[in-house]
Amino acid sequence: MSEPVTVVIVDDHTIFRSGLKADLDERVSVVGEAGTVEQAVAVIEELEPQVVLLDVHLPGGIGGGGREVLTRSAALLGRVRFLALSVSDAAEDVVSVIRAGARGYVTKTASGPEITDAVLRVAEGDAVFSPRLAGFVLDAFGTSAVADDELDRLSARELEVMRLIARGYSYKEVAKELFISVKTVETHVSAVLRKLQLTNRHELSRWAADRRIW
Amino acid sequence: MNTVPVRPPLVRAEDRLVAGVCSGLARHLGMRVEVVRWIIVLSALLGGAGILFYGWLWVMVPTASEAARRQARRPASPIAPAVSEPADGARTTAAPAFLEAARRAPRLGGHAREILLGVALVIGAIMVGSGFLGADIPLGVVIPIAAILGGATLAWLQLDDSRRDQLVRGAGAGRWAGWVRLGAGLALVATGVTLAISGTQWNVLGLALLASLAVLAGVALVLLPWGLKFWRDFGAERSARVREEERAEIAAHLHDSVLQTLALIQRRAGNEADVTRLARAQERELREWLYRDSRRGGGTFTDRLKALAAEVEDAHGQPVEVVCVGDLPLREADRERTEALLQASREAMLNAARHGGGAVSVYAEAAGGTIDVFVKDRGPGFDLDAVPQDRLGVRESIVGRMRRHGGEAKIVSGSEGTEVRLQLRLQRLADGAEES
Repeated sequence: MSEPVTVVIVDDHTIFRSGLKADLDERVSVVGEAGTVEQAVAVIEELEPQVVLLDVHLPGGIGGGGREVLTRSAALLGRVRFLALSVSDAAEDVVSVIRAGARGYVTKTASGPEITDAVLRVAEGDAVFSPRLAGFVLDAFGTSAVADDELDRLSARELEVMRLIARGYSYKEVAKELFISVKTVETHVSAVLRKLQLTNRHELSRWAADRRIW
Repeated sequence: MNTVPVRPPLVRAEDRLVAGVCSGLARHLGMRVEVVRWIIVLSALLGGAGILFYGWLWVMVPTASEAARRQARRPASPIAPAVSEPADGARTTAAPAFLEAARRAPRLGGHAREILLGVALVIGAIMVGSGFLGADIPLGVVIPIAAILGGATLAWLQLDDSRRDQLVRGAGAGRWAGWVRLGAGLALVATGVTLAISGTQWNVLGLALLASLAVLAGVALVLLPWGLKFWRDFGAERSARVREEERAEIAAHLHDSVLQTLALIQRRAGNEADVTRLARAQERELREWLYRDSRRGGGTFTDRLKALAAEVEDAHGQPVEVVCVGDLPLREADRERTEALLQASREAMLNAARHGGGAVSVYAEAAGGTIDVFVKDRGPGFDLDAVPQDRLGVRESIVGRMRRHGGEAKIVSGSEGTEVRLQLRLQRLADGAEES
């Protein structure tokens, strides 16, 4: 490992911030912290870290929480990558921050090394999908595949990858199961992330509306 | 004096047709209400004696609640409050003056009876006096006015105190505009009634219509603000009650669950496994409560699967993560087979929690009439063929059970963990009876 990845932690609970800082290992370095939407936007703009660990529920701003930080930092999305952190793995929380531009999400109960791994993966430009997020994606896009590369459907391969992740497979295990490289798995996951962020699929909107998301 | 039976005090009762005089009298005399009422009605035919008697009692006899309040409030000497009143408190500041106004208000109400009597006497005197002076006031004018006043009084007395206050405030009677409106309304009613009664000599349909319209308009004008306010109050009160009930439910739930768990955690602070298990169970329970889908009953496949996972988690202290895609209602026709799948899943989860030594991942997908369940752990793994024949766990309760019910079970085990894959096809669902 060369340079540690620079990280800003955004969470309104000081205890959680310091605990997380202690848990992360030396592959990342925490360069800043913020506790509200305004602070977060300012700190991120000033420091331009590689990765922002962003709590979904944040005070301040117009009450939009993590999603508001993302929309207000939209100009930086190319350089700064966001990883959502949440106590809640409710669909409405998770999917809305992903749609706003986050590259993945981890629950706050995840261990230090797990979060570190996720940060590194996001810093590389990949997406971090938990089993539950994969489940949401499958639920939202439907489980029947299409052959061509449509924006609002998943390809057969992407479906397979999503299913395995939902079953609790790590990227490495998915690669082994499907006889493809880890890099290919990451490509598939990133493609799914892009579809999730960009699609206006009718069923997805309805699925979201049923759950009062975005 | 013990020969005289103790009678209940003579008060006007609450169960009333008009003013509660008859039922109060009946209770006081120990007679039946119907009998008293008939006596009054019949005696009313004797030159109006009954009406006079009724009116007299109505004015002079307090209602039950008034009597109770008076007894509670009034000290032994009726003079006492009058004596003590000017003495208490400085009147220079606003607050005592306000308090005093509030104190005086009900007293004014208490004197309403005497005022009423006085007004009746004055009116009688005016009539008699004007008769002496030769200006004969026709009965056709007096009767409608008396009817209106009587009706208004009747309506007024049907209201309890707080309603009366609201009516006064709601109609804006305290303000100049309120008085104008009230006066206009009463005038309209009076016009209407007068027209209706004197209409006999003109007897034109249009006039009768005009008369009734005037009555209605007058009543509406007087009562509309109060009615609107009453309706608004009613709505506000109802929504406040709903909010209060919701808050109480949340408070009760938090108290029963979260606070209890926190107390338990404090007592078990030394035992890490216990604390984790408690926190985990509480988290799951709270999440379930917060995000439960009220549109759905508890009877779907994934609900049952999650409940089973929670049982396993509680029993073995290992987190069991359940991810579900799609769902199926549990239908009677498929009950036996889905139950078999659920029990096989439970067995798989139990094994994973027991031998896996870590988090258990459960994934269920229900679509197109097929249910797939995957249970994965990260334990050391085992060789199915090496499991002794007499161990029923995996062989019977997972593989055998699924086969017997027309499903499939596959167990993949390696050094990185074990995955149990279960599949069940529900034929009928494929015929179009899928979830809407």
